[in-house]
Amino acid sequence: MEADTVIQRLDGRAKFIYFLWTSFLAYIFYDYILNIIFIAVTLALAAYAKVFKPIALTLAIIILPWIAIATPILSLPLGFPGNETVIYMIKLAGYEIPIYLEGLGYGITWPLRIAVTISSAMLFYLTTNQARLVAAMVKSRVPFRAIYMVIATLQLIPLLVDEANTIYQAQVSRGLRTDVGVVKKIYYYIALVIPLTLSALNKVQIRAIALESRGFSAPVKKTFLYEAEFRARDYVFFLIMALATAFLAYVYVNFGYSPLAHIKYPKGIWG
Amino acid sequence: MAEPVVIVDHLTYSYPATPNVLVDVTFQVQKGEVLGIIGPNGAGKSTLCKALNGLVPHFYGGRIGGRVIVAGMDTMEHSVAELSTKVGLVFQDPEDQLSGLALTVYEEVAFGLMMLGVPKEEIDHRVREAIKKVGLEGLEQRSPFELSGGQQQRLAIATVLALKPEVLVLDEPTAQLDPIGKFEVFSVITKLAEEGSTIVVVEHEIEELATFTDNILLLDQGRVKAYGSAREVLTMVEKLKSVGVDPPSVTELTHILNKELGLNLEEPITLEEAFKIYSEVLGVA
Repeated sequence: MEADTVIQRLDGRAKFIYFLWTSFLAYIFYDYILNIIFIAVTLALAAYAKVFKPIALTLAIIILPWIAIATPILSLPLGFPGNETVIYMIKLAGYEIPIYLEGLGYGITWPLRIAVTISSAMLFYLTTNQARLVAAMVKSRVPFRAIYMVIATLQLIPLLVDEANTIYQAQVSRGLRTDVGVVKKIYYYIALVIPLTLSALNKVQIRAIALESRGFSAPVKKTFLYEAEFRARDYVFFLIMALATAFLAYVYVNFGYSPLAHIKYPKGIWG
Repeated sequence: MAEPVVIVDHLTYSYPATPNVLVDVTFQVQKGEVLGIIGPNGAGKSTLCKALNGLVPHFYGGRIGGRVIVAGMDTMEHSVAELSTKVGLVFQDPEDQLSGLALTVYEEVAFGLMMLGVPKEEIDHRVREAIKKVGLEGLEQRSPFELSGGQQQRLAIATVLALKPEVLVLDEPTAQLDPIGKFEVFSVITKLAEEGSTIVVVEHEIEELATFTDNILLLDQGRVKAYGSAREVLTMVEKLKSVGVDPPSVTELTHILNKELGLNLEEPITLEEAFKIYSEVLGVA
C-alpha cells in the first residue's frame, strides 16, 4: 500500500461494507449491466488509489478467459439447459446454428458477478492498512485469534507463491523439463504440492514460535496503536452507497432488471 | 554474589521424535555476562536457546528433565508469553520473526508491546529507544520487507529489546547475512554487551565471538564438552577440532607453532591479541 489517497484513508470497515454491498447486489440482481457498472466504479476507485494494475490483471487472468470460453459454449443449443430464446443464427459449414439468449446471459453474468466480488475484495485488501484493519476488527469485537487468522491467511498467499516459485526453479535446475504439454505441466505442479506444503508448514510453525515469543498469547488486554473511528469521509461513502441503492431500486421498479429483463425467458434461470 | 539471571541445571530434553537432544546440560549466566554457545550442526544449540524462553517444552512437547530458571522464573511453571518479558529470543532468519501484522518498522517493534498490553505512551517511548539502540533511526516508516538482511536482523533485535528482557538470546543471528549484514549485527551485539546487557548467543563466527563473549559453552551431541571463559574454551584447539569446530585462526596458528616448534607463546584468541604477541616476538613493537 504505497499511495495515500482518500480511498486508503477510508476506514477498513467502510471498504469491507462496500465489498459486501457490491457482491450482495451483484448476486441478488441477475444483471450484467449492474455488474459492469460495479466493476467500472471499482476499477475507477482502484485507479485513483493507484492499485488499478493488480486488480485489472487479476480480472484479465480469471474472468476474461472464462467469458471467452464459457459464453460461446453456453449459448449453443446443448450448452445450457434453459436455452429457449434464439437471438441470432450463425452459419457454419452449411448448417444454421442458433445462439441463445439464456446461455449467453448466464455465460456473461456469472463471471461478471465473480469479477465484482474479486475487484471489490482486492480494492479493500490493497488499500487498507492491516494494522488499522486489525484495530477496526477489534472495535467490531472480533476475537483477536480470528483476526490474526484472517490477516495471516492474506499474508500467506504471496509467501506461498514465492515459495512455489523457488521450489519450481530448484526442480527445473535439477532437470525438471519445462518443454512439455499442459497435462504434464499440471502434473509437475502437483508434484510441487508436497514440498510446498512441508515448507509452508515449517514457515507457519516458525512464525507461530516467533509470535509466541513476543507475547501473542499473553492473557492481557492488548493495546492497539490505532483507534478505529468512522470519520466524515466514511459517512459520505456510506451515503453514496445508500443513494446508489435507492437509485437502483428506482430503476428496477420502473424499468425492470436490465435490457435482458424485457425479453421473455424461462423463470428460475435468472436467479 | 548476585543471583544468576539464567540457571540451567542438569537439563535433559528429548523431542517427541528425537531422543536426547540435550543431555545433562548445566551452566549459569550472571547479570551483564555474554555467553557464547558453539558447536557443530545438530549439537542442540538452537534447542537450548528455545529451552531458555520455554518454547521447549511448552511449544514442542517432548520429555524434559532438570531445571531452567530465568530471572527467577522456572520455565516449566510459566508460559512462553509470560517469559517473553524476561527472555528475548532472536532467530536465524530475520523474516521469520516479522509479525505479519505490521507495515512499518515502528509497528513491527511495537507489536510485542501491543500483545502484552503496554500503554500507548510507553509503547512509543520504548519503540523509539529500541530503534535507536539498533541504529535504525530514520527507517521507522519503512516496510520491514524493504530492509536489507542486516537491517532486518537489527529490527528483529529491536523487537525483543523493546520488551526490555533480562536476557537476550540470539540463535545464529548472522547465519543468513552477507558480510555487511554480519558486521551490522555484530556491531549492535558488541554495543549491547558493552552497555551491560545479559546475552546468550549461538554463533559459528568464532573470531567475532571471541571479541565480545565472557564465557563460552561448547556443545556436541547435546552434551557440554567444554565450559569456561572464552580464552579457556577457545584455546582448547584439539578439543574444538575434534568436534568439528574451527578455533580462531590466530589461536590455531599459535597452537601449531607452539607444538611444532616447541615455542611457549601465549595463545591469542583475537586478531588484536595476536598482533600484540607477534609484534613482541618479532621485535617490532
